[in-house]
Amino acid sequence: MNSKLLTGMGLALALCACASAPRQNAALESAHAAVRSAESDPNVNKYAALDLDMARKQLAIADDAALHHDDAAIDQPAYLAAQNARLAEARATAKADDARVAAGQGERDSIVLASRTREVDSAKMAANVAREQRDEATGEAARAQVDAARSQMDAARSQMDATRSQDEAARLQAEVDSLKAKPTPRGLVLTLGDVLFDTGRAELNPGAGRKLDQLAQFLNEHKDRRVQIDGFTDSVGTDSYNEELSHRRADSVKSALLLRGVDSSRISTEGYGKAFPVANNVDSGGRQLNRRVEVIIGADDGRAISPRG
Amino acid sequence: MHIQLSRLTRGATACAAVAFGLAACASTPIPNEKIAVARESVQRAERAGAPELAPVEMATARDKLARAEKAAVDREGYPATKLAEQAIVDADLAEATARQQRSHKAAMEFDANMRALSSESNRSTQPTQ
Repeated sequence: MNSKLLTGMGLALALCACASAPRQNAALESAHAAVRSAESDPNVNKYAALDLDMARKQLAIADDAALHHDDAAIDQPAYLAAQNARLAEARATAKADDARVAAGQGERDSIVLASRTREVDSAKMAANVAREQRDEATGEAARAQVDAARSQMDAARSQMDATRSQDEAARLQAEVDSLKAKPTPRGLVLTLGDVLFDTGRAELNPGAGRKLDQLAQFLNEHKDRRVQIDGFTDSVGTDSYNEELSHRRADSVKSALLLRGVDSSRISTEGYGKAFPVANNVDSGGRQLNRRVEVIIGADDGRAISPRG
Repeated sequence: MHIQLSRLTRGATACAAVAFGLAACASTPIPNEKIAVARESVQRAERAGAPELAPVEMATARDKLARAEKAAVDREGYPATKLAEQAIVDADLAEATARQQRSHKAAMEFDANMRALSSESNRSTQPTQ
C-alpha cells in the first residue's frame, strides 16, 4: 500500500517533469528563441530556407533529448540549432541587401539616363531660346551670344590689325602721292610754289587753300609727325629783304596750318632767303621755281627735323 | 522477494548503462575530418573579414577550434567532436555576419547615392533661370 503510493507519486512527478522539461534547459530556450526569430523573418524563408531547415532539425533532436530526459544530449543540438538559426538570419539579411542593391541598380540607371536626357533637352531648349532671343536682338541671353560673336570678331580684328600696318603704309603712300611730296633724308618734302603768293607778298592766295587743306588733314591724321616749313626766294632784291620775305612766307603757311587745327608745337619755320635755289635765277621761269616754300613732314616717331644744311 | 528482484533488475540496468556509456566513450573516434572542416571554415571567415567585422563570433569560433584540436591531441574523441561541430557553425556564422555587415554598408551607400541622385534629378527638372 505504502509502496504503491510512492510509485504513484513518482509517476506523477515524472509526468510533471516530462511536460515541463523542454522549457527548463537554458540552451534549449535560447535555441527555440533563435529559431522563432529566424522563422518570423520573411527574408529567411526567401533566401536561407536550407539553413533554417538545419536549425529546425537540430532543434527537434534537442527537443527529443529533453523529452527523454537525456539532459547530456540536449546542449549540443540546441547550440547547433541556435547558431544555424542565426546563420540563416545573417545570410538572408545579406542576400536581401544585395538583392535590393541589384534591383535598384536598374532604377539608378534609369534615373541617370532620364537625368542625362533632361540635361540634353534643357540644353536644346536653352539653345532654342537663345536663338529666338538673338533673332529678336533682345534679352541677356541674346546679348551673351552677341558678345560671343563680338569676341570672335575681336579676334578677327586683331588678326586684321596685323595686316593694317601694311594698309597704313599704302594709304600713307597714297596721301603722299596726292600731296606730291617727295621722300628725302629729312622727311617728305612738299614744295609749295610761289604761285601761292603774290610777288613781293607773304599772304597766301585763295587758291592755296586746297593744297593746305590736304596738308592739314594729313598732319591731323598723323599727329606724331612734326613739320618744318622753310621759305625761299629768288635772287632779286637785297639779301635781308629776301630773308625776311622767306620768313614771312613760311609763317603764312604756319598760320594757315594753325587755322586748320594743327598744333603750333609741331611746327617750326625757317627763312633761307635766296639760298638753296632749285633752278637758275637768270630767267623768269627759273626764278619762279626758286620762289617757294618747302614743307618737310617728319618721321612718324615725332623727332625734330634737322635744319637745312 | 518481489522487491529484491526489482532491485536486482535495476542494478543490472544501471550496470549495463554505465558499460554502454563507457563503450560509447571509448568508441568515439578522433574527429580529424571535422576538425579539418572547422579549420577551413575558420580560415574562410578570416578571409571574409570576420576578425574586423564580426570579432565576437570570430573569437568564439577560434576558441572552439583550439579546444577541439587540444581535445583531439588528448585523445578525447567525444568532446573533440562536439567542439569541432560547434567551431564549424561558429565560423560559418562569423563569415555570414561579416558578409552581412558588408552588404549592409553597400546598401546604405547605395541608398545615399540614390537619394543624392534623385534630389539632383529633381533639381535639374526645376525651370532654369
